[in-house]
This record gives sequence, structure tokens and C-alpha cells, in this order.
Amino acid sequence: MTVQASSLTDQSGFTIALAGQPNTGKTTVFNQLTGARQHVGNWPGKTVEQKTGSFTHEGTTYRVVDLPGTYSLTANSLEEMISRDFIIDETPDVVVVLVDAAQLERTMYLLAEVLPLPSPVIVALNMMDIAEQEGRSINVATLQEKIGVPIVPMVAAYKEGITTLIETIQDCIKYKELDSSPILPLVGETERNLLAQIKDLIPADTTLSTDWVALKLLEGDSDVLQQIQASLPAERWRALEKILNQHEDGFLAVADARYNWIQQVTRGAVSKSAESAAEVRRGKFDRIATHPIWGIPLAILIMIAAFATAMIIVMPVFPLLSGGGLNVLINATRTALEGAPPWFVSMLADGLIPGVGMGAAFLLFLFAMFLVIGFVEDIGYLARAAFVGDRFMSRLGLHGKSFLPMLTSLGCNVAGVLGSRVVDTWQQRMMTMVMAPIVPCLAVWGVVGFFATIFFGTSAPLVTVALLITLSIWLMFTGLLFKRFIIKDEPVGLLMELPPYHKPNWKTIWRFTWGHTKAFIVRGMTLVAGASMVIWALSYLPHGDIETSILGTLGRFIEPVGAVIGLDWRLMVALLASMASKEASLATLGVLYGLSSGVGTNSLTGLIFGAEAIEHTVIATAIHTSVSPASALAFVFAAFFSVPCLGTIGAIYSESKSWKWTLGATTYYTFAALFAGFLAYQVGSLFL
Amino acid sequence: MTTLNSLETGQIAVIHSLTGDKRFISRATAMGFTPDTPVTMMQNAGGGPILVYLRDTQVAMARKEAAKVQVERSAK
Repeated sequence: MTVQASSLTDQSGFTIALAGQPNTGKTTVFNQLTGARQHVGNWPGKTVEQKTGSFTHEGTTYRVVDLPGTYSLTANSLEEMISRDFIIDETPDVVVVLVDAAQLERTMYLLAEVLPLPSPVIVALNMMDIAEQEGRSINVATLQEKIGVPIVPMVAAYKEGITTLIETIQDCIKYKELDSSPILPLVGETERNLLAQIKDLIPADTTLSTDWVALKLLEGDSDVLQQIQASLPAERWRALEKILNQHEDGFLAVADARYNWIQQVTRGAVSKSAESAAEVRRGKFDRIATHPIWGIPLAILIMIAAFATAMIIVMPVFPLLSGGGLNVLINATRTALEGAPPWFVSMLADGLIPGVGMGAAFLLFLFAMFLVIGFVEDIGYLARAAFVGDRFMSRLGLHGKSFLPMLTSLGCNVAGVLGSRVVDTWQQRMMTMVMAPIVPCLAVWGVVGFFATIFFGTSAPLVTVALLITLSIWLMFTGLLFKRFIIKDEPVGLLMELPPYHKPNWKTIWRFTWGHTKAFIVRGMTLVAGASMVIWALSYLPHGDIETSILGTLGRFIEPVGAVIGLDWRLMVALLASMASKEASLATLGVLYGLSSGVGTNSLTGLIFGAEAIEHTVIATAIHTSVSPASALAFVFAAFFSVPCLGTIGAIYSESKSWKWTLGATTYYTFAALFAGFLAYQVGSLFL
Repeated sequence: MTTLNSLETGQIAVIHSLTGDKRFISRATAMGFTPDTPVTMMQNAGGGPILVYLRDTQVAMARKEAAKVQVERSAK
């Protein structure tokens, strides 16, 4: 196989589009067709991920475009529009439609929608093994004859049928001999008359078949309606509108016709055993996983197991990166650069190296987390967690599938943000991504717990309760903001398939894990490295000392603002330090309150890695004498609704691939943190 | 005639009609909910979504949504 770069702009060769409902094994087929020759980007002008790749067979290169997995092609969501527009506008040489043999009736619905579109279709009939296990036998030859397009039976998880699929694609494109006319989904007689009437009114010069346009109009497809309205003279449009208004139930009629077609073509080709598949699927594990009570602890247990696994993988390497190994590297840099300008040495030793080192430690942890999330998604458990979590998530305006990312976020926000990938629609995904960092992570609890204990002693639990109440209000408020300003459509309740469990496919899991980790290396780490340099510069320049640095000056300059919030410049700088790492805010406070002995440097990033040099009790005494209780409360609240750490910001950028969202979200959290501090200070001043 | 959310676990029914906005109807039909389709209630407990089986598929549906699906209980 020769390595060739594939890109969307490559117009030579042939294009194959992969379509299919979610959970039909589309990703597995895509990976097996293209191997390592993949490119992940976004659809032009959209925040929806686009995967393209290519393969070469007998000297011809084929470009493969993975369409978003959707249940239908009505213009309901961004994903559906993208799939549909691609097939219509780019007319790929072949559309391969994935169908699940074990859930034939439902997964053929998308096929029924793709067939009337202009591109030739090949059906990949996947999961033949599961169908067989469930006592379903499918006569492929009969089915192929009835549908009128080539059908390739497959067990993609075991690579069965891939070669046949490639050969069928080749035959279809090169020799056109299989390019037969498919038997189109039929509609009842009443609808047929209606469609004929509609067809008379629409312009015939559209690039699309008038049959398809008429069908979509009867369905009430808003996108097609708009296009037709724009192209018709007002009089004809009114006539058309009149017909359509009289048949508002057209949608159901068309959908019904599609299922009738499915039943018609599968009749005689599929035989089921007497035992109901419903009972086969609902095993003991599934009963627990979907149980209204036991399902929740199970989901939490699985997430704890995920963290434990991640920790076990990271633990042996972590001290190397954060402590010893990094210090050796830093000292080696200092020695090697002896004689170089001190700012340059400091920039590397206090800024870049510790920043990147911390990012690298993160990376390992994330890698392990992705491995576990990829695993639970691949075997089909994720939908069960979403099912039991929906009760809580829907109250926040989120989808059930946001449950696992939000739960993950309790451990680490970075993992939570990156985990939002599992949510299906763009809007819900963005919402999950923005809400995940509001959940306090373990490190935040560490800092907040420490502060709350030294200042409020036995009342600390009370502070915790106040924090949790504020947290729920804040999450709900954020949900409302989304509903009001960002999500244009009415929120919709859960409607989700629970796919049958299957054995883990390690290749797919590996691709998921590595793909995510790589994306974070490329985008996230670049941002982390850049931002740690900026923080270094702010805390070092102009005189190489934090008190007189730009940051210190800025801190004092905004002290009037800080005064309203109850935070003096030291506390403000400590909050900023928490961007590098949550624990750093404590070390920073130690230094700013005059405990700098024992720490080798005065720059902020230096402090973060010298954190262990200062005893926490020493910090406690120092701070306790110079911060008022109300200010302490303000700090606790501001730290709890923290300015996100650099890793989280990197993760948001890595996931959204958008500066607008990254900066917008970061500003939002920062404002939230300061506002929470302000409220706490005002309330605290009254009572404390 | 009753609504989907009022079926008890284990009961079987046939879908009669769907109400609600176009978006719900089109999402539901793509998932297999169309008139005359048999549906089995797999789990209806607690305050969470319900779990049904239809067209070879296990589908979870929010309670509010399930109230928009009219069904006819079949005698067993």
C-alpha cells in the first residue's frame, strides 16, 4: 500500500460515502476500508466532525467519506442535513449504506431514504453473527433481488466481508454492471395521486428527481419547502401550499410507506425463530444496568473503576514527570544554558518545560480514561448509563448521554470535556462540553476543603452544603442560558436505542483512544505550552520577580474590583495561578504571604512545581492571620467555581476546534467564579 | 386506548397514533414508531424514561414523550 495524502479537494479518483444509522458498525467498516489513511477535520463551516480516508485497490484510489450516523435524512439536525447535502450536492460514485442484520427493520429505514437519491447504493449487511445468535436467518440472494441493489453480508468486527465489499464497490464504479435501478419505496394509492399533483406544480429543472422533491414536500421537510418556495412563482406556490396544508399528516404516511416497503422486501427473505429477541437481549446484566435504582451505583462504580485504571497506568510514570525527572531536566537545562541571558533560562526552566511536563502527565491520564470510555461505548454499555442518568441530566437540559462525561468531570474536568464526544447531537455536545468544567474536580475539592477547614473548622460542612446548592443553581442557570440563547430548537426528551451488547472490538477502541489522545496532543498541548509561556512572562517580566511583575502590578491595579469581591491582590493572583494547576493556588499564597523561603524561584510556574516544598500547615497559619473570614469565604467560592485550568481550556479547544467557543467559555467561567466570590463576600460580610 | 407510558412492564400493545410536533414525530418514526407497530413494554418503573421493544430494537423514551404515543393494549 502506498502512502498518499487524501484530502477533500482531491477531485481525481472516485468518492464513496458511508452512511448508516448509529451502532451499525459504520466506524469499524470505515477503519477497515481506510486503515491508517484517515483525515479527521470538520465539515466545512460546521462544528461537526468529518472523517475522510482513502484506499487503493488494483491501482485505483478511492476516497471514503464517513457521513455522520443518523437515523433518518429529514432535516431535523445538523448531522442529518450534512449527510443529505453531501449525497445530493457531491453525488458520490457509490453510497454504502450500513444495515444491522439483527435490527433489520429499523436500520433499513435510512436505506429507504437514501435509495431515491441520485447516487448508486450498495448495502453492507453487518452483524450477521448477532442475527444468527438471535435465531434470525437472512436469505441474502432473495433480499438482494427484492431491493434491487447489491448486498454484501458482513461481520465487520471480524473483518468478514470487507474484501467482498471492496470488490463490489469496484464492480459498481468501474463496470457499472451492478448499477441497476433499485425498487423504490412505494407509497399508497392516495399518496401516489397526491404526489402526482405536487409533481405537476414543482419546477422540473431541479437537479433532483421530482419524485424525491415531491416526497419531501409531502413530508413537510422545511429545508426543501424553503428551496421550492424560493424558486416558484407566488401563484404556483400558493396552489402547492394549499395541497400540502390539506395533508398535514403527510409525514406519517410517507414514513409508514417506507416501513411497508421494508416489510415487503424482507418478507420471505428473513425468518425468525419462535423465541423473542427481546428476551434474548435482556439478560441479567442488562436488567441491573437499566434498573431504576441499581443502574446508578453501577454507572458510578464503572466510572470509579475507570479512574482507578487510569491511576494505575499513570502512577509509575507520574512522579518521573512531575517531580524527579522534570527537576533533573530543568536543572540540566540551567547547567547547559549557563551564561545565557537569565530571562531565557527562566523562560525554559520555569515556563515551557514545567508546563509541557504537566501536560504530558495529563496526557497519560487521559489516554487511560479514553481507553475505558471507548470500551464502555464499544460494548454498548454507554446507552445504559445514559438511560439511568437521564432523569438527572434532563433537569439540566442535558441529554442522558451527558451523564458519563459529567460524572467523569467530578474526577477531572479535562476528561469530562473530552468525554462529551459521546453525546450525539452538536447542540447537546456543546452544552455538555461547556457544563462539564462547572463541576468541581478532585483537585478543586482539595483546595476548597483545605481552605474551608482552616477557616471554618466545624462549620466547614455547612460551607460545603452552601457550595453544592450554589452549584446546582449555577448548573441550572447555565442550562437556561443555553436554552435561551444558543439552542434554537425546542428541547427534546430522550429517545434512544439501546444497542445489543457485543464483544469489544479492540481495534475500534484503540482508534477511539488514540484518535482522541492525538487530537489533544495537537491542539490541547499547543495551547497548554503557549499559555504556560504567557503566564510565565506575566509573572516574570519586567524584573524577574513576581511582586513587581506585570501580574503583580495588574493584581494591584484591579484591587478596587477585588475589594468588592473581598479578594486582595494576593488572592486574585492565587486564583490566576490555579489556571496552571489547582494545587498551585495554595503554593502561590504561601509565597505571596511571605513564606518564599524553601522555594527556588519566584516565578509562578516555578511555584507550582515547588508546591510540595511548603508545608500546608505553614500556609494555613500565615493566611489565617491575614485574611478575614468573609474574604476566605469569597476565596472558597471563587476557587470552587474556578477559573478553568489550562488543561481544560486546551480540551475545550481540542473538542470544539473553535476559538470563539474556547474563549467564550473561559470568560464565562471566570466571570462565574468572580461573581460567586462577590456573592459569598457580600453574604459573608453580613454574618461573619 | 391508552398512552404508551401507562403500559405496565411486560404488556404488549399496538401503536395507534402519534401526537406532538413534527420534530418529535419524525424522530419517533425514524426509531420505528409508526401506527400498527406492535410494541412491548420492557420496563416502566421509577421516575426515569421507559424502555420498550419494537421492530427488533430496545428503545428508551422519556416519559413525557411516551405520553404522546397512543396505543391499543392487546389481549394476551
